[in-house]
Amino acid sequence: MTAEHAASVEQPKKRARHEGPKKHIIAYIFSLVLTILAFAVVVTGDVSVNFVYVMLVLMAAVQVFIQMAFWMHMKDRGHLYPIIGILSGVIVVFTMIIMAVYWAWW
Amino acid sequence: MAHGSHAVKRYTGIMDWLTTVDHKKIGILYLMAGGFFFLIGGLEAILIRIQLWKPFNNFVSPDTFNELITMHGTTMIFLAVMPVIFGLMNCIVPLQIGARDVAFPFLNALGFWTFFFGGVLLNVSWFLGGAPDAGWTSYVPLASTTFSDGPGVDYYVLGLQISGIGSLLGGINFLVTVINMRAPGMSFMRMPMFTWASFITSLLILLAFPALTVGLVALMFDRIFDGNFFDPSAGGNIMLWQHIFWIFGHPEVYILILPAFGIISEVVSTFSRKRLFGYSSMVFATVLIGFLGFMVWAHHMFTSGLGPVANALFSIATMLIAVPTGIKVFNWLFTLWGGSIKFTSPLLFAVGFIPTFVMGGVTGVMLAAAPGDYQYHDSYFVVAHFHYTIVGGLVSGLFAGVHYWWPKIFGRPLNETLGKLTFWFFIIGFHMTFLVQHFLGLLGMQRRIFTYLDGMGFNEMNLISTIGAMLMGVGVICFVINVIVTSAKPKTATNDPWEDGRTLEWAIASPAPEYNFAQLPLIRGYDAYWKEKREGNKEMQPAEPLGPIHMPSPSILPFIMSIGLFISGFGFIFHQYVVAGAGLAVTLACMFLRSVIEDHGYHIEPEEIQPRGFKA
Amino acid sequence: MSGHSHADGVLPHEPEKATLEGRNKVLGFWLFLGGETVLFGTLFSVFIALRDQVNGGPTANELFSLSVVAAATLILLTSSLTSVFAIQAMHRNQPKAMVNWLLVTILLGLGFLGLEIYEFVEYAHHGHTFAASAFSTSFYSLVGFHGGHVAFGILWISLLIWQVLKRGLTVVTAPKVYIAGLYWHFIDVVWVFIFSVVYLMGKVG
Repeated sequence: MTAEHAASVEQPKKRARHEGPKKHIIAYIFSLVLTILAFAVVVTGDVSVNFVYVMLVLMAAVQVFIQMAFWMHMKDRGHLYPIIGILSGVIVVFTMIIMAVYWAWW
Repeated sequence: MAHGSHAVKRYTGIMDWLTTVDHKKIGILYLMAGGFFFLIGGLEAILIRIQLWKPFNNFVSPDTFNELITMHGTTMIFLAVMPVIFGLMNCIVPLQIGARDVAFPFLNALGFWTFFFGGVLLNVSWFLGGAPDAGWTSYVPLASTTFSDGPGVDYYVLGLQISGIGSLLGGINFLVTVINMRAPGMSFMRMPMFTWASFITSLLILLAFPALTVGLVALMFDRIFDGNFFDPSAGGNIMLWQHIFWIFGHPEVYILILPAFGIISEVVSTFSRKRLFGYSSMVFATVLIGFLGFMVWAHHMFTSGLGPVANALFSIATMLIAVPTGIKVFNWLFTLWGGSIKFTSPLLFAVGFIPTFVMGGVTGVMLAAAPGDYQYHDSYFVVAHFHYTIVGGLVSGLFAGVHYWWPKIFGRPLNETLGKLTFWFFIIGFHMTFLVQHFLGLLGMQRRIFTYLDGMGFNEMNLISTIGAMLMGVGVICFVINVIVTSAKPKTATNDPWEDGRTLEWAIASPAPEYNFAQLPLIRGYDAYWKEKREGNKEMQPAEPLGPIHMPSPSILPFIMSIGLFISGFGFIFHQYVVAGAGLAVTLACMFLRSVIEDHGYHIEPEEIQPRGFKA
Repeated sequence: MSGHSHADGVLPHEPEKATLEGRNKVLGFWLFLGGETVLFGTLFSVFIALRDQVNGGPTANELFSLSVVAAATLILLTSSLTSVFAIQAMHRNQPKAMVNWLLVTILLGLGFLGLEIYEFVEYAHHGHTFAASAFSTSFYSLVGFHGGHVAFGILWISLLIWQVLKRGLTVVTAPKVYIAGLYWHFIDVVWVFIFSVVYLMGKVG
């Protein structure tokens, strides 16, 4: 406890580099584009249903990955355990979704 | 510093227990409450066995029998063994990693009180409208309002939902504690096995309980708000409940057994005076069991019509779990082999655990063969299997842990003679009760039915089973007497009462002082305390200078929040939504207060810390 | 304790991580989000299993209005960006800017909720009520749970704004704001799947 105390008092002396908004705005634009594409794929309505489903899931996954990596800082250092936590949740969910899809649509 | 100057809140007596955020006291609360519910669940078991001792018995009505089996299962799993597990985790894990408390002391208290009031809500059902009677698995359509229109199943839904919040909070707490608060030098691969087991168990809790939450919400919506999740007439699906329940339910049984595996590793190693054999493979096996536990849930549903492909996949996945489990069993045996063995009561329970759990495991592999399960399903063979693993396995492990750590927690060792009596009555009674149930199942005796026909060949074995249950009861009474007799003794335990302690908790006083460690210790290897002992040191080397120790403040809010949820539960059960809303409002108000009132705790100054940190 | 480590009055660089309590809160919250992933994942699985069970009522294709959903999506996405700006302002030790960005975030959140309530009322008029069918029950449970999370987030962030205005940005208030930011991002992440799996897939049939 007292060791923590000492360590955090030292920090303010460092001149910290602050991350600008640029990366996050780019992430926003990517998310927007993926969203628009998703809506577009559905609205055109000319392609097969299964193809649309796959595209929607893929685009959603990419958008989520971008948002979590940049906005939630998962790409930054010090995020090993958050990654393990979320990934284990994703694995459990993946198993459930496979079962639900197999059950409902097979 | 300015903030040490606010009035230090220190309560005494019952207020101390209601407001404590100290992991050691919360651990004791969990042990006491879990023990209390264990007695209730045990009573329910005795009543079940009395009803079944002869054919066509009318000791209890069929409806009461259904309530008894439902409450016995639900109470034992959620209100008895899980709290005892949490109790041991609370008392011991921070000490084993060299921490002064868990990461979130307030949430720790909240976890206890929500569990407790959820359990009270569930048991109040006996007196106010009827206990749940659709089995601990509460399958629809039996559990829907069509076939269960009393409040029983609503008590189940709300009681478990509230209790489940406590479990989830506890899981997160221990994960963060182990990740962030290990003493300097304690890398992951130097942690004791009980801590590893607690860590993986906490991850399983985090991932499994939300599925139960959704299932209970869905059942509640169907029952109370006219939802259609499980109502086929509106497009709902009965099988959905089974999937959701078992996606939770199967990991749940690994949540139950992994801590027991951790306890066995500690006890076997300590009382063989030998380092645990194959530590790395033990860790790996624990992780693998945890992971595979999420992949096998449909083995509870082989006969529900999933089809041969699904059945085959789940069958194979289930059998795979036997491999890491087998690794563990062999490692325990190799630890014992060549060790300097001392048959204390903890070791007796541990040695009783190993073959008993293996027996449960092999019947599990039998059940895992889907075609075989078509014969075993819903018979006493299944009942025998899971009692061998949960009672002969888990409960034996818990008895081992409780006897092992009692002096550390309470400052007094349990009486060895009574401990051995407990063991012998319990283990003999256990095998009498459940060994015959394998054969009853193979002969075709159905489970969850209040009686059986004469002339089926069931009579003698049921009688033996009932007598065995009575013997188990005697064993439990021996334990209760042991606890009472011991509590009257003075607190004379030394820091290392078994004299062969290997892990860090044995380096400090019994019971541990309020702040656990006067100075956080420096960890120089696995079995950290044993390592110091081997080098001739009486104590751990400190990793920091003596300084003021920060302690979190006690709070009554967790208690009140849980009462709010309890009241809200009643409101939902009896469709009194104003009451339901009022209860939730109380809980939310407490959350608001908690966020807004900044209480930074208090300090214990170095002058108050006795030399060697042995002030209780 | 180390809550007062800024002895020279300067807030540390990443104030949410400057104390053990702060680091514990951030990690604990990430793990909670792992549990929430399973929670929403279960709700999604249920929805997927029941999405065709309309019990004679209106189907997803007939019901959903893509323009409303698009607007709601845009609003929530933007609010997630503004919450990023809030945290960046926090890291630059600019509490006023942080509070302003948080206010924008919750205003956008309120807009999202307003649209969703309007949407649900419309659906109810078309016979798509909670008790109508298995599809409708699972729809309202999944989307409603998400909406409930948005509502809770709005209340929570409002409370935090008040706390920062009253006590300033400290190593105690910073972790709270940071995890509220994580929470808000997470509910946008869930929404990405909701608009894809519930609405867009519903429209395709």
